[in-house]
Amino acid sequence: MILLYILFAVFAGLLFHGIHRKVIARIQTRPGPPIWQEILHVLKFSFKQTWIPKTASKILFMAIVAAVIAIWSGALYILISGGSLLIIFGVYLLHKITEHGLGLSSGSPYGKFGAIRSVISAASEIPLIASIAIIYLITGSLMISDITAYQASNGILLITAFPVAIAMYIIVLSKVPYSPFGIIEAKEIVSGNKTEHFGVWRAGLEVGFSIKTFVLLATFITLFIGAMPFWMLVLASLILLLTMSFVCAVTPMLSPYDAVTIQIAVIIIVIIYAGYLGVMG
Amino acid sequence: MYELENINIEGQVVTFIPFGDIVGYLTPYTAILFIFAAVFTIIALISKPEKQVDIAFGGDAYYTKNVSVKQMRFQRFMAAACGLATMGGVLSGDVFNFTLFTAMVGITNIGIVASIKNRHILDNAYEYGILAMVGTLPLFAGAAIIVATTGTLSMWILFTPLVTVPLVAKLLLVIGVLAEGMAPVYVAKAEITRAPGAPFILMVHVSSLVLFLRVIEIVISM
Repeated sequence: MILLYILFAVFAGLLFHGIHRKVIARIQTRPGPPIWQEILHVLKFSFKQTWIPKTASKILFMAIVAAVIAIWSGALYILISGGSLLIIFGVYLLHKITEHGLGLSSGSPYGKFGAIRSVISAASEIPLIASIAIIYLITGSLMISDITAYQASNGILLITAFPVAIAMYIIVLSKVPYSPFGIIEAKEIVSGNKTEHFGVWRAGLEVGFSIKTFVLLATFITLFIGAMPFWMLVLASLILLLTMSFVCAVTPMLSPYDAVTIQIAVIIIVIIYAGYLGVMG
Repeated sequence: MYELENINIEGQVVTFIPFGDIVGYLTPYTAILFIFAAVFTIIALISKPEKQVDIAFGGDAYYTKNVSVKQMRFQRFMAAACGLATMGGVLSGDVFNFTLFTAMVGITNIGIVASIKNRHILDNAYEYGILAMVGTLPLFAGAAIIVATTGTLSMWILFTPLVTVPLVAKLLLVIGVLAEGMAPVYVAKAEITRAPGAPFILMVHVSSLVLFLRVIEIVISM
């Protein structure tokens, strides 16, 4: 059953990426690619000639692709089974390591700069985990099944814990393609940490990233709106993504310094909110 | 059979390993961290380092850096020790053991960086040494305050409502782990771009993040 969910997440995630690109293009008055373009990309990459750069650390170069797919498939399982939210955000941070390893493994300076930017942004994203502590304070549990049950009887967290929702929104936004926080793939460093992964390696990465997009969007919806039928979860995730497409379309790529500064500002908001919750009991 | 009293944070205990009265354990959460650390330790053991490409500024030339066999062996040994310490920290069911493994991660991380014979990188390794040394103060002070106020360091008891762990002890533990796991500090310096040996350098980041995720679980559960 979980295999079916993974296959669906890959398909839906790639389609989401395509829709995301299309919406950004239309807002910027460009025609944009067809929405199934990312699916075609993965198929194309899967059958292109593939090799490993001579300068690469070969095992790390290959293993990191498998690691990306494995950790997000695990996160999807946790989400579907109503497991611990702590695991999903653990996976979110472990993803930072795979991004870093991806860039380091090839020996390319572009990959390496992408990898370094990944860890620099982690330094500001790590404290956003404070959001999880606040959710625990409010709901008394980090199990996703308990959090949805809490919302069913106490109202949705999107309203009752709005600052936390904003912080999580920024977390998810920083991971969608063409994000203003997507400094690891900025064009001045070619494709950043993905630069040297081509052919079937790139196809594998895109599969992993599509699961990641699906999991993060669905997690946000589940956490802040609550449980719903699966088809409605997919639809709500798409609507959430469209809001992010607007942000990505009208916001230029931030410099690494600005990206980290904004994330720190969000952390300060979350900490003030946590202090407010603490004072109000 | 050992069970955590509060299973609302990370789920049921999957397995436990008793060493006398010290009982290590894995939950679904820590099992994922353990497997992740184990996989990257194995990768570090069986991988050869990359040949880092550098651009020679002022022209269109580039060169690659080769890691000598001697350096590779030392980095690999340190990376393996770092991975084992990380797994120990994840498996630990006792705050003092956790702090010991964290301190060991700090030492091995310095070893991974200091093995590169480059003046700038060695300068950095010296600074990390100071940082890790200073970091042991809040780390062990946190554990000391916990044992002084609750009379135990066993997570099996600290995770129950029977004892209340002071907030300051939790903060000191987190600060200690941040100082020992120096990845964000290391990566913010230009010297990382000079350091070859990707599978081993990556262990610095794996250990830092995994132990950070473990300490978050510990302070939320206490």
